[in-house]
Amino acid sequence: MILIVGGEGSGKRDFAETLGYAEKDIADAKIDERPVVYHLEQLVFAQPEQADALLDRLLEKEIVICCEVGSGIIPVDRKERMGREATGRLCVRLAQQAQAVVRMVCGIPTVIKGELPGRR
Amino acid sequence: MPNSRMILLTGGSACGKSSYAEELCQKLSFPRYYIAAMRPFGDDSEEKIARHRVLRSGKGFETIERYTDLQGLTLPKRGTVLLECICNLTANEMFDEDGVWADPYEMVVAGVKALRSQSDTLIVITNEVGTDSRAYDPGTKAYMDVLGRINRALAQQADVVRELVCGIPLTLKGNLEEIV
Repeated sequence: MILIVGGEGSGKRDFAETLGYAEKDIADAKIDERPVVYHLEQLVFAQPEQADALLDRLLEKEIVICCEVGSGIIPVDRKERMGREATGRLCVRLAQQAQAVVRMVCGIPTVIKGELPGRR
Repeated sequence: MPNSRMILLTGGSACGKSSYAEELCQKLSFPRYYIAAMRPFGDDSEEKIARHRVLRSGKGFETIERYTDLQGLTLPKRGTVLLECICNLTANEMFDEDGVWADPYEMVVAGVKALRSQSDTLIVITNEVGTDSRAYDPGTKAYMDVLGRINRALAQQADVVRELVCGIPLTLKGNLEEIV
């Protein structure tokens, strides 16, 4: 599993496409048979207390894409706070087991852990 | 400051800063002090404090709760000091109970300096709060701005600055291997 993180619009999905994944491979805020999970943060925010239960199924994926959501003012709303915390902690656990972790900044990928495989 | 080292750790919420800081402290000398700046206020801050307590248990930390005025704090001995975190300390120095705010810059920066002068190694945890695009009230905007300026001042003083991303430490300044 390769974890791709970065802010909104930072080029995460485009980067996944450079690894050989197309529209049909990408499940948006869903975990199904497709090899790429996109918008993981939306899945977590829907049920923050259930975030840990997603771990095993996510580890079976080829690509997991998640927005970095923890770098702003801590929200007043409790549910929102729980969502960011749960997203952050889940990403830490995914990163521990990921083959590679890529962080996107301004469309530029930085491999911060491991090595990327070639194009699929 | 004889042989006093400072490490600054930054990153967003729940990116693994606390666990990483505690891991570093394990390699550093006793006594180990944990300076807690978070006021136990509201359910989830209490949950967070409890979680941090579990993370620290058995690691030989003496916890000192200190919400403001680090300059007035005297540590019993020199050793390893973990300060968590600048975002809480800044808010505590900035806002009073009625939400009236004053500039906390000097109190925080001078406070960290005073703490460092009593430490062999000081590890400071801060937070990135300046990168969302919402419209905030003037007090919150002022807080984001001053925390950014405090972070810059602390980074300038630090020997090592690291950013945590998904639990992975990225070096922004200095060489950690020279210290730990």
